[in-house]
Amino acid sequence: MAQPGFEPPGSGDFIFTPIFGNSILATKPVLLLFFSVILISAFFIVSSRKAAVVPSKLQFAGESIYSFVRDGIGRDVIGHEFQRFVPFLFTIFTFILTNNLFGIIPFMQFPTMSHIGFPVSITIFVYLVYHYVAIKKHGLGKYLKDMCFMPGIPKPMYVLLAPLEFLTYFAIRPLTLAMRLFGNMFAGHLLLMLFTLGGEYLLGSAWVIKIFSAISFSLAIGLSFFEMGIQCLQAYIFTLLVALYIAGALADEH
Amino acid sequence: MSTSEESAFWTILSYLIAGLLLWCGIGLLVDHFLKTNFFVLIGMAIGLASSLYLIWVRFIRIDSNK
Repeated sequence: MAQPGFEPPGSGDFIFTPIFGNSILATKPVLLLFFSVILISAFFIVSSRKAAVVPSKLQFAGESIYSFVRDGIGRDVIGHEFQRFVPFLFTIFTFILTNNLFGIIPFMQFPTMSHIGFPVSITIFVYLVYHYVAIKKHGLGKYLKDMCFMPGIPKPMYVLLAPLEFLTYFAIRPLTLAMRLFGNMFAGHLLLMLFTLGGEYLLGSAWVIKIFSAISFSLAIGLSFFEMGIQCLQAYIFTLLVALYIAGALADEH
Repeated sequence: MSTSEESAFWTILSYLIAGLLLWCGIGLLVDHFLKTNFFVLIGMAIGLASSLYLIWVRFIRIDSNK
């Protein structure tokens, strides 16, 4: 019984060679990213083209996503100035949601956001936006002063707390924002790969073990639905935190 | 989980990471230059204490004032 051992999936499975040519722009994640942009645009153009008072099913679907982001995230979190941030939040939400859901759609089966570069580049936009909003509203000096020196604590404590607040705003927030999305998508994809590849491997063994292969495959299918929940939740949490950071930037005192 | 709980959770986590990272880093630097090995522990304690103090100021004290 000389059987090759099972090779578990690892981070190497996240590295893709270009589908055509030698360009890094022709790898699967990047192509999925472009596809998601086309898909989102097409969906919302089609769903809003024949806007009617009595909405069709498609229009209803598009409008419920929009109103979920506008009311559920924008208005609840940011408050009275929310309207000008709705396009930004809406773009982030649909973009991340679509790219995450690619992870469980057959034949695509790769969540784009499990490559660290994509969450990081979204986070850079978010970072620039919420600092810009705050500096524009309060001015740089007042923004930093409000951030680091909250009222009502004894003066010596500022030595401890001011650098902490500064670091939180400028380093930890963007870091956790990007890492959380990346980590969740990476781990979820790894988990699905493990059960699928494991089931496939067990299928090539003796017939008794083939029963366990069925268990492994059904777990993979079950976990796919579980993953779908996580993918939606992560898109929601990302957008929610972006809204919170913008709300914090607009607030009169931090 | 409601919106405010969610935000509180991530803010608290950010403060804890920030405090530990900052003061552990300072402790490591001091250790590196003075050729000692205990300042990183002191840094850890200061970092955790200041994080917890900040969390107390932000979340508990304000709530009890209301």
